[in-house]
Amino acid sequence: MIFPYTPILAVDVLGSFAMIIISTISLHKARMLREKHPANMVYLYLMWISSGFTIFALSRSFGHILKQLLVLSSNGEIWHTIGPYSGTINTVSFMLVGLITLFFKQSWNINRKILSSRRALEKTHLKLVHLNQNLEQQVIERTEMLTASEHKCRRIFEQSLDTILVTDSQWKIIEINPAGIPMTGYTKEEMVTGEMHIKMLFADGREWERIQGHINAHEFILNEETAFVRPNGENLLVMITCGVDYGAFGCARTYHFIIKNINEKKMMEKQMAQAEKLAALGELSAGVAHEINNPLGIILGYTQLLLKQEPESVQTTHDDLKIIEKHVHACRNVVSDLLTFSRKNSVDDDRINMNQVVDDVVKFLINHPDLRQIETDLNLWKGRQLLVTGNEQELRQVMINLLINGGYALGKKGTITITTTENNHNQVLIAVRDNGPGISQETLEKIFNPFFTTKPVGKGTGLGLSVSYGIIANHGGDITVESSPGQGTVFTIMLPRAEENGEVE
Amino acid sequence: MKHASKQYTALVVTAFLGILIPDIAHATQMHSGSEGIIVHQLGHLFFLLSMVTLILTINGQGLDRERGWRLIQYSALFFILWNLDALAVHFLDNQIAAVDVKTLSVWQIQIDPANNSRALANFYYILKLDHLLCVPAIALFYRGLSKLLAGEEA
Repeated sequence: MIFPYTPILAVDVLGSFAMIIISTISLHKARMLREKHPANMVYLYLMWISSGFTIFALSRSFGHILKQLLVLSSNGEIWHTIGPYSGTINTVSFMLVGLITLFFKQSWNINRKILSSRRALEKTHLKLVHLNQNLEQQVIERTEMLTASEHKCRRIFEQSLDTILVTDSQWKIIEINPAGIPMTGYTKEEMVTGEMHIKMLFADGREWERIQGHINAHEFILNEETAFVRPNGENLLVMITCGVDYGAFGCARTYHFIIKNINEKKMMEKQMAQAEKLAALGELSAGVAHEINNPLGIILGYTQLLLKQEPESVQTTHDDLKIIEKHVHACRNVVSDLLTFSRKNSVDDDRINMNQVVDDVVKFLINHPDLRQIETDLNLWKGRQLLVTGNEQELRQVMINLLINGGYALGKKGTITITTTENNHNQVLIAVRDNGPGISQETLEKIFNPFFTTKPVGKGTGLGLSVSYGIIANHGGDITVESSPGQGTVFTIMLPRAEENGEVE
Repeated sequence: MKHASKQYTALVVTAFLGILIPDIAHATQMHSGSEGIIVHQLGHLFFLLSMVTLILTINGQGLDRERGWRLIQYSALFFILWNLDALAVHFLDNQIAAVDVKTLSVWQIQIDPANNSRALANFYYILKLDHLLCVPAIALFYRGLSKLLAGEEA
């Protein structure tokens, strides 16, 4: 069967040329792609497959062109010789393209992993760059924050009015704030450098053991009241709170104490309790005195009437009435003292120079039997006048009571020092100090109570100091006593100061 | 590694079978005349299968979303068709000698099917125009590469 050969020839020859040209420019494109991304495995594959196609196209196309030329020039025998070689090259080129293609999937997977790793690497690199850029800034910021925080904590530690004290696990003091120095009475070097045991601060070692036991058992102690002792032997009441810090970053365990000085608070509470007690006693005394005063007046009146009616010749009766009259007078004096102790808001508004009062009383008592052997040392304030508003007679009585009590305390020999001065609270101070045997703590607590006396029965009524207390309280002032056995006693009167622009009595 | 291990096992088993089933040993293998065309046909088949693999791989990796890779897929499809064409021509021509071809001149060609089937002659004639498949295949491959390059340059 005859068919036109021209289409086959044309398609074969033109197709072969086209294959050569297109495969060559494909190889060029693949090379460009490869050059764009030398590390891209897929583009490497495309270059390989393009090479395979080019080899295939060249071998096959040249083979076909040659075959057509040889057949058409009646040299088919030559083609029969060359044909197998051309076919073999073609076969090898198919195989090559096939092999390359079969590796495409693996190439792609490898490429994907490489790209993924590269992206991760780039991301990490960017993060690193960012971190590097910001690291310095962050270090500065964190350092500033740390410094500010440390400064804040340090300020709290330094400025705290309560004592903040830190001990190590062996209870040795390793840190104490400035407030702790005056409170404890020790220097920082003694406590911190000298690794002082906290037990040394406690007045009673057993009390420390009790507190230590509580901290060990519960890891804290809260608002525990106890007594500290200063190096000079002075005791003070404190309130302790303690917690355990187990430390961070491998630091050892420490104990943090916050110690409040409650000495003054306790003293004030005591004084207030004393004042309240005396006020209550005053009210009681006033009631009793008032009830007794009237019957005493009647008894005295009738006694004096009987004395007038009874002739002095009847000696026995007259003497008995005199005894009654004498004791009624004594009772009235006691009642009068009680009323003085309890009287309120009855102070006169005379302006009194306290230096003058003290001087007069000392001169008046210089020949008193109890003070005759006693040396009196008078230190009067040389500054502006110590004026107070009140009743001069009553204030004289207070001074007399204090001096006579001092003389009694000294016995036959000793010194009473009277000092007048002023303080920063616009008060006049009068201190009466003796160098006698002092007063016990137990006695001090009762010293202003009415009818409390250490004198033998019949020697004192026990109303002197309570009357003095009442008078000073009525003048808006206060009277305190400080004493310890063997150290003498000092009574201090504090009275509100009056202005100078007025007439002095 | 597993794959390599399997290959190694197969090699060892073959070696053992060779030892266990002895036969006449030929120092040099003799080749018949049809061996060349069979190897060539296997080459086409291998090429065809590799193009099928390429199409599936491009699909599997989701690369067909890019126009460049889609063009390469079409190129592979045309290469498959071209391989089928070539396989058929070689089968009819060289393997079973179903057709006898003589070039009469630049203008005419004589195709004589063994069974005198006109349809077979026509089919063979069309199959001989195989460049109509392989040229578009390589052209599509070129277009695909151009698109990929343009994408990279963009």
